[in-house]
Amino acid sequence: MTEERIDEGIDSWRTSDAFTPAEKIALEYSELMQFEPDSIDASFYERLREHYSEEEIVELGTFIGFNVGYHTFFRTLDFYPMFSPDGVLVSQEESRRIYGDTPGSHLRAEVQDALGAPHETEEAS
Amino acid sequence: MTLIDPLDLDDPAVVKLGARLENFAVLGDDSATFLRILARAPQYAEALWDAMDEALFRDGVDHSLKEMIRIQLATKAGDPYFSSLRSKRAIAEGLTEDRIQASLGDFANDPQFTPAEIWALEYAFRMYRTPETVDAAFYDAGKELWTEPQIMELGGLIAIHYGLQVFMATLQASA
Repeated sequence: MTEERIDEGIDSWRTSDAFTPAEKIALEYSELMQFEPDSIDASFYERLREHYSEEEIVELGTFIGFNVGYHTFFRTLDFYPMFSPDGVLVSQEESRRIYGDTPGSHLRAEVQDALGAPHETEEAS
Repeated sequence: MTLIDPLDLDDPAVVKLGARLENFAVLGDDSATFLRILARAPQYAEALWDAMDEALFRDGVDHSLKEMIRIQLATKAGDPYFSSLRSKRAIAEGLTEDRIQASLGDFANDPQFTPAEIWALEYAFRMYRTPETVDAAFYDAGKELWTEPQIMELGGLIAIHYGLQVFMATLQASA
């Protein structure tokens, strides 16, 4: 698993060649459960069954539901991981400085700065 | 009829749930439809139900208040199954249908609810409608009415029950 693949799985999984049809419908299931649960109907479950067993669908569905529930709650608590992306323990304040006020890619400039890594723009120049 | 059928009661994965089936029946569904669907992923079924059970039934915050919150969340999730269930324990402890319906309406201006109950109902109401308004000021107001462990108990209840009720809603199950 790479940060590039995580970003692609969040931002552009629909058009990406990096995911199998089974992975794509799992990502779609997750996105719909969060934002458009009413659109998950019998035909969607039929599409899921083309790739997954019912056991796997229940596993995916409960995993997604659990995460939909908990991540919204965690968001309200306004806390950050107590470590940097490379695993160094940091304070909440430092963590907020690294990760920013809204969730986003670990490849963006401020996170790369915290890691002392060259930016994509710097690499390109 | 649900989009993923529950396993039969005599299926080994359901039988293995043992006393959890009786615990679930307290929630008002003796046939334990939700648990029998969950049993299709047995490695998840026990842990998830135990967490939901602990959140709803463990002594701490009043169970009847938590039951009103659970029903409010199920209604928000559009889940006809969980929104129709009624905890037998809460009913035995005096929770009435009138009070449940009041908790789904203009509870903030209803004198039958205490300020602490109103904050807790508001917490659940805002969590998946306007989570950005559940901010430091809102938590500060809550801390005047509840201890931090009680707030975490309420938050955990809200998170796990809403999440699993959204999943159940997509299965189009009814009680």
